[in-house]
Amino acid sequence: MTERALGHLRVIDLTHHVAGPYCTKLLAGFGAEVIKVERPGSGDPLRGMGPFYQGVEGPERSIPFLWLNTGKKSITLDLKSDRGREILCRLVRDADVLVENFSPRVLPALGLAWQRLQEINPSLVMASISNYGQDGPYRDYKGDEISLYAMSGLMNETGDPGREPLRAGPALAQYSAGMCAYSAILAALHRRQQTGKGEHLDISIQEASLVNIEMGLVESLQLGTVRRRTGDQHSMMPWQHYECADGEVAVISGPIRHWRKAKKIFDEPRLFQDKYDHCLVRRFLRDEYEEILRPCVKKFRKKELFHAGQEQGLAFAYLATLEEAVELPQHRARGFFQEVDHPVVGRHAYCGAPFRMSATPWRQERAPLLAEHNAEVYGRLLGFSDGEIQAMEEEGIL
Amino acid sequence: MSEQPFAGVRVLDFAHEWAASIGPRLLGDLGAEVIRVEYAPRMCVIRGARLGKRMYNRHPRWHQVNRNKRSLTLDLKKEKDLQAFLDLVRISDIMVSNSRPHVLDRLGIAYDDLKKVRPDIILVLMSAFGTGGPWSSFAGFGGTIEPLSGLQQLTAYSRDGKRYRTREMDVCNGLMGACAIMTALLHRQRTGEGQFVDLSQMETATHSLMGEHLLEYVMNGRQTLPLGNRHPYHAPQGCYPCRGEDRWVTLTVRTDEEWRALCGLIGRPDWTDDERFAGRVGRRRHHDLIDRAIGEWSSGLEHYRAMELLQEAGIPSGAVLDGRDLQEDAHLEARNYFMTAEDGDGALFPGLLFRSSAGNGRIFRRGPDLGEGNEYVLHGLLGRPRQEIEPLDEKSIGTGYDPE
Repeated sequence: MTERALGHLRVIDLTHHVAGPYCTKLLAGFGAEVIKVERPGSGDPLRGMGPFYQGVEGPERSIPFLWLNTGKKSITLDLKSDRGREILCRLVRDADVLVENFSPRVLPALGLAWQRLQEINPSLVMASISNYGQDGPYRDYKGDEISLYAMSGLMNETGDPGREPLRAGPALAQYSAGMCAYSAILAALHRRQQTGKGEHLDISIQEASLVNIEMGLVESLQLGTVRRRTGDQHSMMPWQHYECADGEVAVISGPIRHWRKAKKIFDEPRLFQDKYDHCLVRRFLRDEYEEILRPCVKKFRKKELFHAGQEQGLAFAYLATLEEAVELPQHRARGFFQEVDHPVVGRHAYCGAPFRMSATPWRQERAPLLAEHNAEVYGRLLGFSDGEIQAMEEEGIL
Repeated sequence: MSEQPFAGVRVLDFAHEWAASIGPRLLGDLGAEVIRVEYAPRMCVIRGARLGKRMYNRHPRWHQVNRNKRSLTLDLKKEKDLQAFLDLVRISDIMVSNSRPHVLDRLGIAYDDLKKVRPDIILVLMSAFGTGGPWSSFAGFGGTIEPLSGLQQLTAYSRDGKRYRTREMDVCNGLMGACAIMTALLHRQRTGEGQFVDLSQMETATHSLMGEHLLEYVMNGRQTLPLGNRHPYHAPQGCYPCRGEDRWVTLTVRTDEEWRALCGLIGRPDWTDDERFAGRVGRRRHHDLIDRAIGEWSSGLEHYRAMELLQEAGIPSGAVLDGRDLQEDAHLEARNYFMTAEDGDGALFPGLLFRSSAGNGRIFRRGPDLGEGNEYVLHGLLGRPRQEIEPLDEKSIGTGYDPE
């Protein structure tokens, strides 16, 4: 059997939506046994949110759910019932990690606060992910991705200066927090190996996302500068998209010291006059420089200019369509997309490992059906009989 | 307070620029000893473009990105320095680099070279495009990876409008670098086994931000985004003007209950039972009309005030905060988010990625001066005689901006 980096760990996963599930998806992918605890009947609310496979709603057809929950086991359990909480505590007893992303008052109100869980299992690592952290004046604030993106200082810098700030398409704040929670858990496990003790981790999505603007933020703190939207005009120049013959190309003058090598690409000596030699000078001459550059770029097809730039060691790119992004020759050569079969939606190509470990590889599996592992977890793991499981299902506890 | 999670771990930070600096920095916050290896004739771009007054030691961004690190200057093309580097590998646990794979081969510090001197070493190589494949030796920055990964297709004011970059995907790759480092360290702690981690920043950005969107494309042959500031499912959602220059508040209505609360708040209680706005489908259909009404309400209010009123009414919302707002924000203040370096001059830094009941990370020191750790590493750790350690030759120093 292939060894997995986290193959020795059992994780109780009380998360839903994005940040928590991405964290536990990574834990599962690197080998942990992740038991996702879902609400009886409807499960993770993300199961009810689209986009859905073929546009048809259904708990096993939500594409974000199918992506975010690969490699996990699903059980249902009503944490609002006494019996449900008692069962959860039994699961916690033999778990290494518990991850949750309820708002901060929820678990304490259910009698499942850290203090209580720690008594049951002193070596438990518990990670609580929330919008703004476990304390402070905003701890009960509600937020969707757009608000978290706004409150993390990211949105202020995205979009055009003359227009309203623009949210990023992907859930950048929540995904940042998911990775941050994964790191926090692994750090705690590294410490536990020495101390034998568990700990409670407080991950604020806002704080986890603030690292995204750490350079601008530290300058605000220490120099008093405040960044504004630039419409993607970079302080280095050129460092943005221009229209070419069949699309858009990112003309990136980096590594900066190599820009002169672009002489071999653009047959236009004016671009390489002495006065334009330093990128920090070029940015003050942006308009006149772009006036010379734009027609040069226009002559190329996007992939042609991308390769011409890379041949000179310059980090050019083209604006890929989603089809092109999936079909990148580099992805194909490295086998980045890997097919996963699923009993409801069938076989499709998902992104594979986020990074490749030579000794302890990633595990590419599908997301679980709702309650798919009730029999395994309640029967084999906790020792309930089939009759007991069925009775609890009928009572709505499972 | 327990010991720091990574106390006793030594990290060789062979990073350039931002993304690869983040993982080692996080380890430094959590107690590891991190040694940043620098090449003085061509310093990291984060050290800036100026040499006068040793400006390269003075940039807050350098102090932040590389806090809790020591700086060692080496020229690996010199035999003596390469030997020092390998001697350092022998007493280190992990090396992190974002060089293109062939560069490490050329310098003689590829994984196999490292393993010869330290069999259980971990190498996390987070190059732009990964090891192997036709683009392995290609160069890549955030501005390269965003358009190629499809990421940039998803951020725009309208479906066919200009595509924008997000802020800031370098860090997502840096955070995944931290995940890779810790996964390998945990495995080694338990089993004694080192390994090579091949992290393609192209794949990392795709995994951590594009996974669900590319899966939608693969499954359905289409993609819901971009939708500007609107939500693919809930409505209304948007970013609305507030009092003052460039001040904004965002909100999302997810339920009928939140919709009723919003109607009351913005002075349109008559909309509560209006058939046009029934359910999210109705509200999506009349989104423009709703947006105008919210904008009229919000434009008379300060952005923080609008957020507070919305939150009090139970509606998810957030003010669009800039660097100054964040610095003065009451919540971050209450959580003591901003911190000073323990050996520093009182200057404030963005704080920690997470908190722990067993003891938080720390900011021991700001990012190091160039070559600050030369004597500590070469003499203190490697036992080279003091007199053999050459002082940093100021004339040899060059910035990463100088044209070649």
